[in-house]
Amino acid sequence: MTNDTNQVSESIRHFINNSINIDGLGDDENLFETGIVNSLFAVQLMTFVERSFGIEIGMEDLDVENFKSVSATAAFIRRKSPDKAEAAVRKERETTP
Amino acid sequence: MNAFLTREQSASYAEFQEFAAANVEPFAGEWDRAQKIPDSAVSLLGQTGYLGACIPSEYGGKGWDVVTFGLLNEALGRSDSAFTGILTVQSMVSTAVLKWGTDEQRRKWLPPLAKGELIGAFALTEPGVGSDIQSLTTGFKQSDRDGGLILSGEKKWITSGQFAGLFLVFGKLDQKPLACLVPRNSVGLEIEPIQDLMGFRAAGLARLRFNDVAIPSASVIGKPGFGLSHVAPVGLQFGRISTACSALGLLRGCFEESTSYAASRRIGENRVGDLGMIQSLIARMGADLEAAKLLCWSACRAEDEHHHETFTRTFIAKYFTSQAAVRAASDAVQVWGASGCHESSPVARYYRGAKIMEIIEGTTQVHEVILGKGFVQAAIRKQLAQRREASS
Repeated sequence: MTNDTNQVSESIRHFINNSINIDGLGDDENLFETGIVNSLFAVQLMTFVERSFGIEIGMEDLDVENFKSVSATAAFIRRKSPDKAEAAVRKERETTP
Repeated sequence: MNAFLTREQSASYAEFQEFAAANVEPFAGEWDRAQKIPDSAVSLLGQTGYLGACIPSEYGGKGWDVVTFGLLNEALGRSDSAFTGILTVQSMVSTAVLKWGTDEQRRKWLPPLAKGELIGAFALTEPGVGSDIQSLTTGFKQSDRDGGLILSGEKKWITSGQFAGLFLVFGKLDQKPLACLVPRNSVGLEIEPIQDLMGFRAAGLARLRFNDVAIPSASVIGKPGFGLSHVAPVGLQFGRISTACSALGLLRGCFEESTSYAASRRIGENRVGDLGMIQSLIARMGADLEAAKLLCWSACRAEDEHHHETFTRTFIAKYFTSQAAVRAASDAVQVWGASGCHESSPVARYYRGAKIMEIIEGTTQVHEVILGKGFVQAAIRKQLAQRREASS
């Protein structure tokens, strides 16, 4: 489980690093308070999470705490659907050379 | 683009073109002059199920993929961008409710939107606020009575506003962006038609005034604080896809009308199309058309695949296609000469309508800011990654 947790976080970190310019982003760094993200980032992150982890984000999930950092987003994914999070990680392992 | 379509998508596209040729094209000029689309035409759009194109079948919609939705917009846009505007805003409202509505809200509002029994309008722009949506002045305050809200403020340039039965309205509650649904018959809602637009004249634009309109808490879409970061972008994404594809249809119209005219109109012994200067105009139009098709198809596919680049691809498609439509419409009038300057020609209406495509759902300049900044940032990220790799 620890490895899977790290894999989920790594996947999110990779997406964020490809979306914003910041060197050495901390896993607990608040993405929205630091002003480093643009107005579209929130929905882009949501789309990434839904597609990569096969989960549907709905009205009940609209809470800044769920997406404020790498750690918070990873925790949200595991809470929302632990099975799918692990399956996504397994699939990534299988397809990564 | 046809080479990339499935058999079902190609069949649907043929059906859409047939519908547009029979029910839209012959009347578009008349609607434009009257500045109104008759109720019967709007009803027909509902009866076909086209207004529910993006709504899942469990709510009475067609549940089509986004490529098919794009093809529908293209086919209708070829005949009349104003008519297509109804479809644009219907999809904006529907997708926002589908994504961020509660189960109860989805069950209540999506079936009538899917059947066209209810026409939606997306009330975001204000008299003093266009591109800078963070500066909205429309406000909500808590009601003293029933836990609901009170809405006050003004909206302007609202497509379908003249006849819509349901408005998705954006404002702020204690500085937190909020979206809510407001039925047309709400007490305190005033609707003033906006006439005499340059183009898009039949799209039913209106100015809305909310004078202390009571909003039940059950009408809030999403949660306070998420109106502009989550609710609006989902609707605007479909608005941009729809507008890009509608502009693609307009571009195709310019190309087809120009080539047809150039092939038949004679100057002495020669056809207009024999002239090199005319061939230059048509060449640019044709090349733009092929490029725009691919960009629109790419954007629709990205949305279907839920790709995280879907927003960027849609911005690119809308940015390129709306400008190409403006260029093509100008050149089409040039090809037609004096005949193209008269309202009896389709290209005169295209010329006036094309410019609107560059303004709605984000101006060309807003697209440039977003795309330009994004491309430069991507280069900076690449350089940072290279430096990290070199130092490790």
